[in-house]
Amino acid sequence: MSDLSIFLDEVWIARFALLKGLGVTVSISLLSILVGSALGVLVGLCLTYGHPVVRLIVRAYTDFVRGTPVLVLVLASYYILSTVGIDLGPFQAGVLALSVFCSSHVGEIVRGALQAVPHGQTEAAKAIGLTFGQTFTSVLWPQALRQVLPTWVNTAAEMVKASTLLSVIGVAELLLRTQEIISRNFLSLQFYFLAGFLYFVINYGIERLGKYVERKTAVPS
Amino acid sequence: MSMTLRAGAIALASAILLSATPGFAQQQSGSTLDKILARGHLIVGSGSTNPPWHFKGADDKLQGFDIDMGHIIAKALFDDPNKVEYVNQSSDARIPNITTGKVDITCQFMTVTGARAQQVAFTIPYYREGVGLMMKAGGPYADFAALKAAGAKVTIAVLQNVYAEAMVHAALPEAKVDQYDSQDLIYQALNSGRADAVATDQSSIAWFMTQNQGRYVDAGYGWNPQTYACAVKRGDQDWLNFVNTALHEAMTGVEFDTYAKSFKTWFGKDLPPPQIGFPIEFK
Repeated sequence: MSDLSIFLDEVWIARFALLKGLGVTVSISLLSILVGSALGVLVGLCLTYGHPVVRLIVRAYTDFVRGTPVLVLVLASYYILSTVGIDLGPFQAGVLALSVFCSSHVGEIVRGALQAVPHGQTEAAKAIGLTFGQTFTSVLWPQALRQVLPTWVNTAAEMVKASTLLSVIGVAELLLRTQEIISRNFLSLQFYFLAGFLYFVINYGIERLGKYVERKTAVPS
Repeated sequence: MSMTLRAGAIALASAILLSATPGFAQQQSGSTLDKILARGHLIVGSGSTNPPWHFKGADDKLQGFDIDMGHIIAKALFDDPNKVEYVNQSSDARIPNITTGKVDITCQFMTVTGARAQQVAFTIPYYREGVGLMMKAGGPYADFAALKAAGAKVTIAVLQNVYAEAMVHAALPEAKVDQYDSQDLIYQALNSGRADAVATDQSSIAWFMTQNQGRYVDAGYGWNPQTYACAVKRGDQDWLNFVNTALHEAMTGVEFDTYAKSFKTWFGKDLPPPQIGFPIEFK
């Protein structure tokens, strides 16, 4: 048997394990990007328009989380919470850690984008009698969103990559599944290459999605 | 993330964890043994990437010598070896998962050391391990003597560990030591010619050579003796006694056939049956 057919044979044997790993990676990434982004928009709003006290608290949260390695957040969600009686499973703890991490990054992106919208826009909105809610949804957010999208794609890709750290707390994501397969057949390079390719496919999908939304929200020229 | 950062992160998390749980070893109520019996199944922490100890077969099911130890303890508890749930954990998680009660017991080729025994309670040992050297068949060095004679010219691939360098130098004082993150990578280093030999557990070498007949040779030297034991939370003598009884009877008593069968499967050796009559401990 040639090397390629041995590899393909092993891929076929491991197809369900790989699919399960891929499924876990995709669902963890999607969940943490969704929750993290929603939370991040809130963080960004608080940082830009919040009461000084709220701003101070959210600023502390953002700086603390951004300054902490993701692995520490993962271990903290899994172990430290259980000492205070919140016993999360590995999957839940992983989603929590990545969402928190994502929220701090998205928060800063949103803050930057909102502050980049010229102040005159808010004043003009006020002049025509819009409430703050209307100003935000119709004037500020559509403009900020265009600024947010490219960096948001980066953050989302980071979340996919950070999901590999969850193997430490026993989440059977794609990398751990790959390592399990390699420990059986020792086809290291081939299976790491396959895993790399699958991660690329996920991140390429996110990038295309970002590009699609960018096109949809672009100012018509 | 680099291993240094990762180790630092784990140390930090462990420190916070220990400070947050004064008297962490104390049971709130009753023994783990009673809790397990009430729960109806045992929760064992182990890994999934290190044959022949704990790994997944082509059927995606966990197997290996550590996994069999879990089945032996479950059999003693429920008379059913399958009433056991395995929690997948990395080597770094072996102690934290016990101290925080995520698992009832860890059986994961855990080397018994004094420092670890201050954090968890070790059961009686169920295996004796040593380190060996494996080379490619037909390579430039024929055996251990040739490796040693080559001095600083040889490169040894070894798993990352605080003691890895000192461990290799105890056998080959002048050799260059390259450390890698996982078992498959040290084999990869040997295959690609980055290393002249790998230094790893003799059980792993034996398993790998059986899986790849004729491609590798054992350098024929073993050192660094260590014992493997399961570990439980400190301060729960009842549970510890129970596990010790189960393991003891597997190695010397009524469950010997199960232990011997597992030993033969994963290490390829037939164990002599324990003699009948005077107890084995007092010889």
